[in-house]
Amino acid sequence: MLKAIELSKTYKSGTDEYRALNGVSVEIADDDCLAIVGKSGSGKSTLMHLLACLDAPTEGRITFDGEDVTTFSNHRLNRFRNEKFGFIFQQFYLNGRDSVIENVVLPLKIRGIGAAERRDKGLEYLRAVGLADKAQKAAKDLSGGEKQRVCIARALAGEPKIIFADEPTGNLDSVTGGMVEETLFRLNREQGIALVIVTHDDELAAKCARRIELRDGEVVAAR
Amino acid sequence: MKIKDLIVTANRNLLRNKLRTALTVMAVFVGAFTLTMTNGLGDGLKDYIETQVKNYEGNNVIFIHKKIELPEGQSKNEPAEYKEQKENEQEFDPNSFAVGLDQIDRLARDFPEVKSVSPDFQIRSEYITLDDGKKYQVQLNALARGVTQKLEAGRQIDGDNQIVLQNDIAKVFSADFQGLIGREVTIGFKGGNPPAMQTLRLTVVGVATKGFMASAFSAIDAATERKIYELQRAGSPDYGRLTTFSFEVAGNDPQVVESVKQRLDKKGFTGETIVDQSKRTYNAIGVFQIGMNMFAFVALLAASFGIINTLVIAVMERTKEIGLQKALGMGQAKVFFLFSLESILIGFWGAVSGIAGAILVGKIGNAWASKYFLESFEGYSLFAFKPAALLTIVAIICLIAFLAGVLPAFRASRLNPIEALRYE
Repeated sequence: MLKAIELSKTYKSGTDEYRALNGVSVEIADDDCLAIVGKSGSGKSTLMHLLACLDAPTEGRITFDGEDVTTFSNHRLNRFRNEKFGFIFQQFYLNGRDSVIENVVLPLKIRGIGAAERRDKGLEYLRAVGLADKAQKAAKDLSGGEKQRVCIARALAGEPKIIFADEPTGNLDSVTGGMVEETLFRLNREQGIALVIVTHDDELAAKCARRIELRDGEVVAAR
Repeated sequence: MKIKDLIVTANRNLLRNKLRTALTVMAVFVGAFTLTMTNGLGDGLKDYIETQVKNYEGNNVIFIHKKIELPEGQSKNEPAEYKEQKENEQEFDPNSFAVGLDQIDRLARDFPEVKSVSPDFQIRSEYITLDDGKKYQVQLNALARGVTQKLEAGRQIDGDNQIVLQNDIAKVFSADFQGLIGREVTIGFKGGNPPAMQTLRLTVVGVATKGFMASAFSAIDAATERKIYELQRAGSPDYGRLTTFSFEVAGNDPQVVESVKQRLDKKGFTGETIVDQSKRTYNAIGVFQIGMNMFAFVALLAASFGIINTLVIAVMERTKEIGLQKALGMGQAKVFFLFSLESILIGFWGAVSGIAGAILVGKIGNAWASKYFLESFEGYSLFAFKPAALLTIVAIICLIAFLAGVLPAFRASRLNPIEALRYE
């Protein structure tokens, strides 16, 4: 489904150049579960940003179902990301003062879906992560584990093909982190949503079907 | 994102920080309030002039006075140079506005479309009385031929020895205006040589409507005016020399009136209709209004810095949120629009509350003014608030607010999602 061919990313600041990624190729299949591991500075975040089309590669191509996304216009790229990808971040990025349901339906709101349909879908996905009863609560009043499950619901609300999770359990204790992991893997198994997890947690990476390890911007191990 | 969702979101974002929003709105409020008040004051004056002018009608009557070219010295505050008048009697005196009666007649002969000429004789009258009762001071003046005035009773002057009473004098004579029609009044004036009090009896044919301008004098017929003039001025050096007169143009074609005015201009005269004269007053009020509005715009300029400040802080506070929205596919234009909407909404609420405050204060002011110092100015409201003007004020303030928000909104729209999400 998503294919990255010989991706390189160079950051320039003045005359200095920093090659964050060097000729990395990855392929993500329809119901894949891929862990990207590596130490900080290995380029794993950069790779995720490129795969998720949040940033453009300096060299290389990314195709989705055969289409070269690097040629998309800004407008089309925004729409593409909104429809095909879901995101989960270590720091949640929830809007604390808004209600849980408002946070969950954000991707649908951006897509331009009407209020009633947004609400129905939002509740459906909150149910999927077991938080339907907290829909009207302010997001800031939830526990860390609950917050991350709200983030999963938000990622699901857009009905994506791939969910990108950047250190999804990094801010959670092992019990709540385990619940979040369990939810993610269940979605992958039951709904066939591809999962790309960026982590330095080997235990979490081991639970994924495949893993690639990066060091200094290059793939050093793949399974 | 749908427009409706953007508006709801923008409103909610503003309400997230109620105090900050309220303070910024307050600054706009002050500007909007001032703008509405100053504008309302000017409109009140304009309205008043309009109702006053409407008391007289005569679109085909041109009021004329001679132009004196300003000598160069005059504009520099130096004494004007005296110009020798040529021997020829027909030549107009270059040093004076005054024009001789014979000169007026000769001038009129050059205008075949002029139906009648009315020289504006200045007369002094002493009093008016009904049935030898109480005497009241009065100013008498004949209306230019072709001009009619609004009446509350009776008819226009159509013969000799007639008078149309001004409203306040009619009122002290009798509450029944109809009953006054056809009755005779006595007017007193000084005339003859040596001057002595003389009287004339005039028939009341009408009573004028109330109004500031209409209360300045009572109208009499032209022949009576001339008679008094002769008695007062005959033999004096300025006899028969007038500064203003008027032409009544035949028919009712504004183009003919315009052409007469233009030819008068070429001959060294300024001609104005009643509408022209009121326009001049209008424009003067307009200039006054603009001057007053400048103060309000200074207040709005200060307020727009408040808006910029509020938005710059909002963009900083919400950098991560913007990063997330952009990651989830919200385009640059929508981000820009969202922040622009927030600044426009600040302007909008400031404008609406400012206008509401101004209308409230204006209503109180009008009630107070009409009770005290505007007693004699019937039909004059100190402040007039017109829907079109108010809508314009809202639109202008929203525009100013939008412009104030452009820079921060642009910065928000250009944020890179990855960097924005990492922002601390």
